[in-house]
Amino acid sequence: MITFTKVSKSYTPNSAALDDVTLNIPTGDFVSVVGQSGAGKSTLLKILSAEERPTAGNVVIDGWDITRIKKWQVPHLRRQIGVVFQDFKLLPKRTVFENVAFAMEVGGAIPKEIKNTVPHILKLVNLVNKADEYPTKLSGGEKQRVAIARALAYKPQILLADEPTGNLDALHSWDIVQLLIKINKLGTTVLLATHNDDIVNALKKRVVTLNGGKVVSDQQGGTYKL
Amino acid sequence: MVGISLARIFKAALQNFWRNIWLSVATAAIMVITLLMISFLYFANIFGGQVLHSIQEKVDLSVTFKEDVQEQYIQAVANELETRQDVEKVTVITSDQALESFKSRHTDDPLIEESLGELENNPLPASIFILATEPRFYENIAKQLESDKYTPFIDSVNYEGSSTVIDRLIALIASVKNVGTVITIVFALLAVLIMFNTVRLAIYSFREEIDIMRLVGASRWFIQGPFIIESVIVSLFAVIISTAILYPVLNTIAPHLQRFFFDAQSSPFNIYDYAVTHWARVIGLQVGAAVGLAIISSMIAIRRYLRD
Repeated sequence: MITFTKVSKSYTPNSAALDDVTLNIPTGDFVSVVGQSGAGKSTLLKILSAEERPTAGNVVIDGWDITRIKKWQVPHLRRQIGVVFQDFKLLPKRTVFENVAFAMEVGGAIPKEIKNTVPHILKLVNLVNKADEYPTKLSGGEKQRVAIARALAYKPQILLADEPTGNLDALHSWDIVQLLIKINKLGTTVLLATHNDDIVNALKKRVVTLNGGKVVSDQQGGTYKL
Repeated sequence: MVGISLARIFKAALQNFWRNIWLSVATAAIMVITLLMISFLYFANIFGGQVLHSIQEKVDLSVTFKEDVQEQYIQAVANELETRQDVEKVTVITSDQALESFKSRHTDDPLIEESLGELENNPLPASIFILATEPRFYENIAKQLESDKYTPFIDSVNYEGSSTVIDRLIALIASVKNVGTVITIVFALLAVLIMFNTVRLAIYSFREEIDIMRLVGASRWFIQGPFIIESVIVSLFAVIISTAILYPVLNTIAPHLQRFFFDAQSSPFNIYDYAVTHWARVIGLQVGAAVGLAIISSMIAIRRYLRD
């Protein structure tokens, strides 16, 4: 369970990226966070991964108040939260396998564990046959699937996807969304920040709409409305 | 798990080192110069001390007594001087001993032997030689001997010439140390500056990895460790090169220094032998200085460019 209680975040004194946001997200939920650019979608996700600290309010994940999280606790938090970005953030000089393995290496996984786990994750994202390819040889959709595979390396409880389809065409975008649904069905809570209305409408899942940093609507089976 | 992480950190550090190999070499070069300067300063200090010590041993304060002074009196003066804290050793040379010593030095000279034979009395005066614990104490000891209590019996007190030599030597050693220290500090600062830039560039060339490491929850040590270890690798590399330069140079100059400074001595001080027997201290000094500078500079670069 993720709980936002009266969370505000200001980057400058006169403007609020998030303004008094209160949200409850049960474990295993699939939530689309929509809104125009600057509405506060990315800030919401960044607060969850402790990249940003709220200016006011509390954020609790499974009983763990991460609002005033200590620096040394941040890596521990991030190993429980997978993050996917619009620009993939893959290492160009490493193969698909190595990109996924890298996340596990960082966490101190032993080589045997990496050798066993990575093929499973690649199978989940349907990239087993591309394991030895370099990212430059992959399509945008494939790159995003590698990024998702990497995010799954720690078997996170939560997956944050910040505009994961922003750089993809309709077909590949749908591909990625299908993958997110699959991951969600396996028990992972998914937060999808997007402004792709087709996807949000087709998903028929919970939709939280942000505008000017405020939650303006929160609906189960909602649609994209601004 | 710790072992594997450590191995990965070392691997990343070596990757950093190779990715910026020329920068690593330049950093090592400036570090080598710094280490050589530090070593030079260290050896100048040791060597200066030895030279000073050998000169001090040769120099003493000598007191010549008047002809008719009794031996008991001379011994009493010697005993009195020995009680002083600043006196290390007092040697009494009676006029007989002086004559014996004079004769033994001129056994091959018939002219001197002949003229000595013609003399009725022993012409050589009794004297005492005083070795002070430090050269600066001679003045006070001399003052005591020049007091009214002793003047009727003492012919001369001699120490001034040697004290000037010692003062000059101390001044010379001090100025060598000062100049050496300034040069060392300049090179140490240069080494820190260049090392800092090396680490900065390494951080820059690894920015994508660092970004992703943070994203997937790498610990602080996992992200920062490679940069610190890289700088330590560069500095240890510098220690090897500087040692490889230092020892042959010492071996080459040692005989010349020996001849110049310890000409008449039976067991002259050899700086190369000293460096060989004290190798642990010499290398320890270099490793300490190099690793210290490396850690300082990489920590500054990390604090500046690797904020969480």
